[in-house]
Amino acid sequence: MGNKQTIFTAQQLDAYQDCTYFTRKEILRLFYRYRDLAPQLVPLDYTNQPDVKLPYELIGSMPELKDNPFRQRIAEVFSEDGEGNMTLDDFLDMFSVLSEMAPRDLKAYYAFKIYDFNNDDFICKSDLQKTLNKLTRNELTEDEVRMVCEKVIDEADLDNDGRLSLEDFQHMIVRAPEFLSTFHIRI
Amino acid sequence: MDYGLRLLHVKIKGGIYLIIPSVTEEQNLVKELIDLSTRDRIRAIRELPMSFEEKKRIRWVMSSIKQCCRIILHQHILGCVCLCHSSARQTLELWQGVMKEIGGKFGSSVLSYFMFLKWLLMFNIFSFLVNFGFITIPLLVYDPLPNIPPNVSFRGLEILTGAGYFNYTVMYYGGYSNETLSGLVDYDMQLAYFFTIAVYMVLCGFALIFSMARSFQRNYILAEPASSCAWQLLCSWDFSITNEKAVRQRKSNLRESLSEKAQMKLLTLSEKLKHFAVHLGSWLLSTGLALGCGASIYYLCQYEQQVHSSMEGLTLLVPFVVSLINLVIPLFYSLFYKFEQYSSQRRQIYALVIRNVFLKMSILGVLCFYWMNVVAKKYSCWESMVGQSLYRLVIADFLFLMLGSFFGEFLSNVIGTRLIPRFGVPEFDIARNVLELIYAQTLAWIGIYFSPLLPAIQIVKFFILFYLKKVSLTQNCQPPRRTGRAAQMQTTFIALLFFPFFVGALSMVAYTAWRLAPSEQCGPFRGLNDTFSVVGVWIDDLEVIPGSQWVVWIYQNVIRSEIFYFLITVVTLVITYIFWQVIQGRKSLMNLLRQQIVNVSVFEEKRLLLMLFIERILFCTQHWVYSKYILL
Repeated sequence: MGNKQTIFTAQQLDAYQDCTYFTRKEILRLFYRYRDLAPQLVPLDYTNQPDVKLPYELIGSMPELKDNPFRQRIAEVFSEDGEGNMTLDDFLDMFSVLSEMAPRDLKAYYAFKIYDFNNDDFICKSDLQKTLNKLTRNELTEDEVRMVCEKVIDEADLDNDGRLSLEDFQHMIVRAPEFLSTFHIRI
Repeated sequence: MDYGLRLLHVKIKGGIYLIIPSVTEEQNLVKELIDLSTRDRIRAIRELPMSFEEKKRIRWVMSSIKQCCRIILHQHILGCVCLCHSSARQTLELWQGVMKEIGGKFGSSVLSYFMFLKWLLMFNIFSFLVNFGFITIPLLVYDPLPNIPPNVSFRGLEILTGAGYFNYTVMYYGGYSNETLSGLVDYDMQLAYFFTIAVYMVLCGFALIFSMARSFQRNYILAEPASSCAWQLLCSWDFSITNEKAVRQRKSNLRESLSEKAQMKLLTLSEKLKHFAVHLGSWLLSTGLALGCGASIYYLCQYEQQVHSSMEGLTLLVPFVVSLINLVIPLFYSLFYKFEQYSSQRRQIYALVIRNVFLKMSILGVLCFYWMNVVAKKYSCWESMVGQSLYRLVIADFLFLMLGSFFGEFLSNVIGTRLIPRFGVPEFDIARNVLELIYAQTLAWIGIYFSPLLPAIQIVKFFILFYLKKVSLTQNCQPPRRTGRAAQMQTTFIALLFFPFFVGALSMVAYTAWRLAPSEQCGPFRGLNDTFSVVGVWIDDLEVIPGSQWVVWIYQNVIRSEIFYFLITVVTLVITYIFWQVIQGRKSLMNLLRQQIVNVSVFEEKRLLLMLFIERILFCTQHWVYSKYILL
């Protein structure tokens, strides 16, 4: 059934299967989703590894992502150039991490990077403020924003340096069993 | 395997970060991966927090190292087989696509209802296969035609009442014989009936305990309190919601809840007293209502018995009233939130759940009491009578569940959108629906002893219910506005399923088997004093067979002796105490470690400051020496 496809070589499909949490069928299905975003840019033949990048605007318009308040950060974290323009590899990687089979630590790592807006490997107060504004449509007052961010740092910061490191974040995730089902996008 | 900390973060031009393993890191990685089997290696590569290019490169490195090994081919085939198996399993899994759709639109807490339904369906399928295979099929093979009296024929009413034609078939306890069926092998029906039911209940108990313990460990012990800001901000957002309106509503709710936390209100004494009085009043009201319903059911049963007419339709009165109570009163309880204020939404849900559980337990308790004390003493083939009552209850419950969907969801939707727009579109009430499922399953568990084929009805019921609820959900309901702690609620529901519902059903069946005399004229246990004596008779038969003395010994000295149970209890208590002490020790260790993290970071700061200070002193000293000796 799937042996007649001519999009990828067998080695490429094996590599995709080994490096993501998807089966062959799902990889092909995701390829077609990727191609549907821009059929004129994405060739049907990936055997010679064309260098095709879809701009962020197309990725962000996907129905799974278009209402997500963090879609831009997600695209930036998983794209190679950090701007949100994704190759097919980045696309597969993104949905693989966000699928239900990815383990908790991997998801926690990428969730941390998504919330780390200034890419300094720490979630500091400004990152928390940006997260809060994205989640509450900028409707909280300045005071409330400040108080909530202070509370978050108080509760989650273990080593008292005023910002959340990856370990602090992972410690919190270990104690939140719903994280596996909430940090999950179905495609 | 946590590789995140060992990667090099390289900042290149333009503020872009690349995370690459440095050369030695990559060598370490390869060294670790090379020792694993193929399956473990693939899993480890997938879990690497690296970009796709790096993962492919690591994989290429691994495969080129291993290329000379021929074992890889064998393991690759195994890997392929494993993948084929997993993709085949995905296609065979029941309702996979529907679950994805529901989860995407309504979130994981609504999805948990449907997964619970699927899980209960598996129990019933297993029960049906076991009962049908071990009890019914041998009887059908031996005696395919049921011995029905000549004046009884099949009318349509049997589907509702379960009496009449069905009474003489293998549907109920009375249709089974107590003989040893001779055929290819000697098949003892008594033993088969007893052991099939007993083993099934024990396996159910183990499955429930196991999943309850696992769920409890994962979701309760380590869990962060839901009231913490950090959890709400960073862990609670559901990425899988694709509905714009749902996203907007969740954002508003998060905003409300966070702004409430930011300005914490304290209540005055009079407000506290008022809240306490309102709580007390509503609890008294709900408890009184539950007890009143139980008493009225009892009197209704007695009335039905007194007016024992030939009208078969009257037997439907009690089941219909029971199901009506189960439909109306929980809806009434749901309205309590209008005047009862709870400090958190979770407490509100728990209060609702407790009230509903109490109502259902009182109804089931009254019915079981009536069956065991009145029906068992009055009728000749009383197990079949109880089986018929249970059948009617199951059917009535199914009909009223369908009605409940209509009232609870469809009518609410119509009222909320057209008549009184203030109410809005209803949400799917997860707690109420899950409790209805638990109640339906309890009826099936009680009924297995009296009507072995009842699980078949339950399977059909759950199947239809799944599609019905799905359609009702997608047409009438909106996604839940608040992000609930779905995992903890799941644990609570499984715990409720086990205790009091499963334990209650098991107790009832055990009491029936132990204390009540089986009926004389029908069923597989006729002629015995109680059902358990089947085992005694079997052991007596076994004593004459050589080679099976060990079974007899186990029965005499282990199962029948009290010392054994006493010893087991003492040993279990001691082990429990030891584990409890271990947990206490681990808790204090966790606190110690947490304090140490703080100390280490403080220590690090102090060390840095000290180093700077020493550096400064050295610099000043050098400068002084230089100025003293050179300038001289």
